[in-house]
Amino acid sequence: MDRRKFFKGVGLVAFAAIVAPTTSLKAVDFRATKPEAWAAEKSVDAIKALFGGTPTESDKISFKAPKLAENGGSIPITIKSKLDLETVALFQDANPRALSCVFTVPVDAIIDYDIRIKMRQTAFVTVVGKERGTGKLYSTKKEIDVSIGGCGG
Amino acid sequence: MGKAKIKAKNKKGITKVKAMFTSLMADVEQAKKTGVEVSYIRQVVATINDKVVYEISMSGFMSENPLLKFKTKSGKKGEKIVFTVTDNNGKTFTAKKKIK
Repeated sequence: MDRRKFFKGVGLVAFAAIVAPTTSLKAVDFRATKPEAWAAEKSVDAIKALFGGTPTESDKISFKAPKLAENGGSIPITIKSKLDLETVALFQDANPRALSCVFTVPVDAIIDYDIRIKMRQTAFVTVVGKERGTGKLYSTKKEIDVSIGGCGG
Repeated sequence: MGKAKIKAKNKKGITKVKAMFTSLMADVEQAKKTGVEVSYIRQVVATINDKVVYEISMSGFMSENPLLKFKTKSGKKGEKIVFTVTDNNGKTFTAKKKIK
């Protein structure tokens, strides 16, 4: 635990020292501010920890993913939304911890993100978006079949 | 520390960016199994003209050598896009590329 804390501390200092002067970042380091969200095992708990609420399912946010992923080590996912979102996060129930990634969306950005994730087994993938201003939460989910698990599984 | 491959192209006011970073993306469980050290990219931030255009925090459950694709309205031909990558130990490195 001490070791972990030590790394975290060093990380923060290094991050502040190196990044802050060169760029005018308003960066939110979700790994530092919301550690409990990254540790949660189930999507539902992770969503609560990260956003502090329960999202409503909506078709305003969507993502594209293969129905059957042959290689669980690299599953392409494209997240799209026309809403003015502040934060977009991706959760899955396949791995030991649910949260895969969090986007902080800058003002006036196009939400069209293409990423690759790892999944150990067949499970639901949930994408949650938080609207700027209103703070409303929208979500969408899909089941992805994984034939060969990634992630050392 | 990692390397980065970046491609950025501006077309009709929209900049399309593709970026790949070398990292094992091994979280605790996988590191134990394969006998490597825990190493993954924690955060990637992209800026054009000191303005943040893309920001992602990740866990180790992204694929190996994560490939990120995105579009942004900012950025013109000849301007530089700068990526700042932070790994799990808090080490950072930057990569630059001119927008074509």
